[in-house]
Amino acid sequence: MSERAESGGEDVRGLSAREVTISYGGREPVVRDLSLDLPHGGLTMIIGPNGCGKSTLLKALARAVKPDRGQVLLHGVDVHTLRGKEVARQLALLPQSPLAPEGITVRDLVARGRYPHHSLLRQWSPEDEPAIAFALERTGLGHLGQAQAGELSGGQRQRAWIAMVLAQRTELLLLDEPTTYLDIAHQYDLLELCAELHREGRTIVAVLHDLNQAARFATHLVVMDAGRVVAQGPPQEVMTAELVGEVFGLRCDIVPDPRTGTPMVVPHERAVPAG
Amino acid sequence: MTGVRAPARPERAAGPAAAAVPRGMLRIGRLVAVPVRRRSLVIAVVLVALIVVAAVATLSMGRLGIGPGRLPQALLGGADGKEAFVLERLRGPRLVVAVGTGAALGLSGALFQSVTRNPLGSPDVIGLGAGAGAGAAVAALFLPGVLPVPLGALLGAAVAMAAVYFSTGTGFRNPGRLIVAGIGVAAIAQAFTQYVVYVMEREAATVLAAYVNGSLAARSWHHAATIWLVLALVVPAAALIARRLDISEMGDELAQGLGAEPKNTRVAAVVLSVVLAAGAVSVAGPIAFIALTAPQIARRLTGGTGAHLTLSALMGALLLTVADLAAQQLPTATSLPVGIYTMALGGVYLGYLLVREWRRKRL
Repeated sequence: MSERAESGGEDVRGLSAREVTISYGGREPVVRDLSLDLPHGGLTMIIGPNGCGKSTLLKALARAVKPDRGQVLLHGVDVHTLRGKEVARQLALLPQSPLAPEGITVRDLVARGRYPHHSLLRQWSPEDEPAIAFALERTGLGHLGQAQAGELSGGQRQRAWIAMVLAQRTELLLLDEPTTYLDIAHQYDLLELCAELHREGRTIVAVLHDLNQAARFATHLVVMDAGRVVAQGPPQEVMTAELVGEVFGLRCDIVPDPRTGTPMVVPHERAVPAG
Repeated sequence: MTGVRAPARPERAAGPAAAAVPRGMLRIGRLVAVPVRRRSLVIAVVLVALIVVAAVATLSMGRLGIGPGRLPQALLGGADGKEAFVLERLRGPRLVVAVGTGAALGLSGALFQSVTRNPLGSPDVIGLGAGAGAGAAVAALFLPGVLPVPLGALLGAAVAMAAVYFSTGTGFRNPGRLIVAGIGVAAIAQAFTQYVVYVMEREAATVLAAYVNGSLAARSWHHAATIWLVLALVVPAAALIARRLDISEMGDELAQGLGAEPKNTRVAAVVLSVVLAAGAVSVAGPIAFIALTAPQIARRLTGGTGAHLTLSALMGALLLTVADLAAQQLPTATSLPVGIYTMALGGVYLGYLLVREWRRKRL
């Protein structure tokens, strides 16, 4: 039942994939034979071109998709041998387009993050109130608890969902493109929040579209292409002009970010045909 | 517990609304702690009171009625011959069937609407009731004594739902396709029912009406036992999945991430809904639109979110009891089946919903 990671000295804390293959309904696999250890306590960003399987991988890591072959190990234990709530007390997933129930208040939405800590007869725990208050406060929604979730702005709504997964009080947070639909200031707000939560001790894994943002905030960068991991490591080592050219088909220079020194992609202008 | 550390910057003041919002809590010792919204509790009590009022009215109105003053004594065994006939044969079983059937329909509707995340994804709109009606008609008229009526209704309901599920190509997900497929399946099922009734019972128009529209006339304790047995089996199961159902409404991936197992929950909800609808149809015929309207009214009354299983069941019981009271007492049309009333009123409501959904471009 509990599958220990090989080699006795290895740290089994954290989340990892072992030779995972995933396909949807017998079609070409979206993720192929993928093995990956996510550094425990790290802020990992997964990048890659559209359709490379990064969202699918994230869902598999969160036990929301079952791999055809291979295993996802949480602290050395196959997540599919665990009960859903048990996993949900250690690991939270924010998918790309969750649905807010009609007429729900922000506070009630956030409170639903407490579900994994409840049982059929005990749909309440003493930790609920502090967890919800903490989540609302950290996402800057303290004053909007009684507002209707459906009436929030895009940035506020995304923060409400983040608050919901924060209320889950897990050590691992998995976020699928959390900055989509946000304007640029809110994108950075959200990434700064992730960085803060990471500094406080959480392990965060996020799928991100923007290479510069990923390189700026990640402690560990994972680059995927065609269902495989093609590179991983610290952003400074991973993000090279060759890699971006190969994986994204974009000719570019990599320059240090003037503020943080992290690698920044500066695309080449396309040669304009003369005449 | 989970390894979350305290906030690094507690000074970042929490807004006033972040303070604990007081909530009602149903507590039994240390074992049970279930939050109950005060408003929902009040509505539930009011609904129960209204059901009692409708029940008293059902037993006491009209020529054979037992006055409210006589009723307690009559119910406690002091009924004379005429009263005993009314209580035990005429109106008693009919009332008990009406309350149970209404509750079953309301609950069935709440479950299915939660699964489809749409008020129109309701058993009576998508042909579940009509399918059960066809199954019941076959069992009762073609195969009397061979196939019990409830089993026939269950088979009919299951076949109808399988037909809808596979003909949409997207399961129960797309409300527009669901409704179109449901209308088709319902029409086929009703035509089939009419054919069966026509072949077997050329003379009896009332039999046809009962099988096509649903009727509570001439119900016996046997019918009452059937529907309450169904409720006794399904209600505990529905209570088990109620919370998971609410969580599942937020989308599969999120619900899976919270450990609510949305796929299993959906299958369970559909099965329970089919069993309830089949039970209701086998004792009262395909009574229209209780399953559609009861959960919607309950939702609007509470203003809350979620499937509102309890309130939907109570609301269904109230609606059907009142509709049947009208069917029995309105002077214009004695012995008109109750299904005609629910169809007329529910049809208006369905029209309203269709227009609203269409305006919101959700269809």
